[in-house]
Amino acid sequence: MVLLTVAALCSPVVAGDLLTREEALAACYPGAAIEAQRVFLTADQLEKVAALSGSEVPSALVARYVARTTDAVVGRAYVDTHVVRTKRESLLISLTPDGRVRRIDVTAFLEPREYLASEPWRAQYRDRELNDDLGLQRAIRPIAGATLTAHATNAAVRRVLAIDRVLARAGEGP
Amino acid sequence: MVRYIIALVLGTSLVAVDARAESWVGADPAVAAVAQGAPTDVTELERQIQSLTKEVEKLKDEMSRQAGATGAEPDVTELERQIQVLAAEVERLRSGETQTEGVTEDQARALGLAPSAATLYGRDRGVSIAGYGEMLYERYSSEDESGALTGSGAQADFLRAILYVGYRFNDKFLFNSEIEIEHADEVSVEFAYIDYLATESLGIRGGMLLLPMGLVNEFHEPNVFIGARRPETEQAIIPTTSRENGLGVHGSASRLVYRAYVVNGLNGSAFSAGGIRGGRQKGSRALADNLAFTGRFDVTPTPGVFLGASLYSGGSGQGQVTVDGQSYDVRTTIVDVHAQAQIRGLDVRGLYARSWIDDAAALNQYLDLEGSDGVAEEMAGGYVQVGYNVLSLVASTRVSLLPYYRWERVDTQAKMPAGYERGGATLRTLNTIGVELKPIPNVVLKLDYQIITNDGETGRNQLNLDLGYAF
Repeated sequence: MVLLTVAALCSPVVAGDLLTREEALAACYPGAAIEAQRVFLTADQLEKVAALSGSEVPSALVARYVARTTDAVVGRAYVDTHVVRTKRESLLISLTPDGRVRRIDVTAFLEPREYLASEPWRAQYRDRELNDDLGLQRAIRPIAGATLTAHATNAAVRRVLAIDRVLARAGEGP
Repeated sequence: MVRYIIALVLGTSLVAVDARAESWVGADPAVAAVAQGAPTDVTELERQIQSLTKEVEKLKDEMSRQAGATGAEPDVTELERQIQVLAAEVERLRSGETQTEGVTEDQARALGLAPSAATLYGRDRGVSIAGYGEMLYERYSSEDESGALTGSGAQADFLRAILYVGYRFNDKFLFNSEIEIEHADEVSVEFAYIDYLATESLGIRGGMLLLPMGLVNEFHEPNVFIGARRPETEQAIIPTTSRENGLGVHGSASRLVYRAYVVNGLNGSAFSAGGIRGGRQKGSRALADNLAFTGRFDVTPTPGVFLGASLYSGGSGQGQVTVDGQSYDVRTTIVDVHAQAQIRGLDVRGLYARSWIDDAAALNQYLDLEGSDGVAEEMAGGYVQVGYNVLSLVASTRVSLLPYYRWERVDTQAKMPAGYERGGATLRTLNTIGVELKPIPNVVLKLDYQIITNDGETGRNQLNLDLGYAF
């Protein structure tokens, strides 16, 4: 009873809420026009992404969203789908125009909910860029009791940042 | 669908498309299969759409060459748009975000399906499998701390092999279980429960439940806890692994995580001078005259750091402990406080636990225990451990090399009932120093040396080597 009372008194913001892509994009880029794109990475680009990110790239098909105002591109967002333990998770990883992480939203999580990474944990990635320090037991602290989720999320963020960088260098960025 | 698209764009018949598919789209049999409408999985669909895109480019080039002769511009815009639509649908399908509608009862009847069969048409579901295990080699010192020869040797034990099996019925209900084989030949259910996700912050759980206590009882994969052997406090005071049958709630709110259950109590008839570990009923035909409440909360003020507390309290007499015609409840209460911080390569953990056993004197009479063999009124233990992954300072590696040290003190006879005295060996101190290597996060090799002393000077040091895995 005490535990339930304490839980009820806590902030209504609940760890681990799922959003749709549209809700997440609207929250991250309010007022911007969102263009959905499907990008196919070439074999050369796949190699570069794998080398930069340090992890396998499961698919050449990349879902990308470009957010624009009348003046400029205000950000890009990518969907990364991967396996956590044996079931899938999809993250919408939204970036700033210069390729830093702005926000991470969970749009699908098919494992038991206790393994879902909380919003405060995902917030560690805010303003991070792709470098060697972007990893667990480095700039990113682990999650007690959800090690596989932490590793899967970190690999996804590194992959998205690498894809964004490779596409920008290839002149395929907006 | 692709056949129709291609036929429509090029103004030819489906028969012509089918007949010419292989030569028409080139030598790629997979693309031909798509043109003929052959079934395939999501990954294969992605590959085929990519191939189609390339074929469209070739088609455009070919048409441009032909148009060059006639002066007409080729137009495959519509085909490209439709391929993009297909790619969007495939990507959504892959993401796990799309949910197919379940089959209604009427639809199931119309399809001639029994209820179980009908569920196969429902929302995303399926079996989830994971597991962990470890092999432990222990080599004991040939003499104890007093110098007396012990004659003991070594032991190699496949300590545990665990299989997690879970099944997601739908968005609200799931089943989770852990089947354990200990010492290579003892099979048991470690937990098995149904979860109902009532809201985002509240779940209801029932079945065989891991008691939500300590740092190891719920999270005991070998790549998660430091040390080849679990802390003594979390074996003798919090008798890991504790699981009983029960029902309760769990959830999270902001930075707070909580679990609270009502379970069948321990069986006090199996308590001893060494602690309450023998009183675990493990959910197997458990005596349930006495129930117990157990719960915990943890607060995460910043990622990587949490602190919390847990409580267990309930009768352990189970209607069996009677002395001179009077029945005793043997209420058993365990409290622990704990904290853990993992910041960059540093890993620091600490825990203190204390237990109280009411009616301990009556229990000892019932069990016919005397002197220092008696069960205590109070037990206590605690440890502090620190480790550092030295390779976290090396930017380019994912390998972890973590030297660690643990100091621990356990007393299973901290306070004895009147008429009973403490035994010397029940207050022990353990100093553990070791190193663990994780070539990948899922595999760990731990090597440590434990210096074990007790008030009776019968402590034996030991060398431990543990190989563990989790997936």
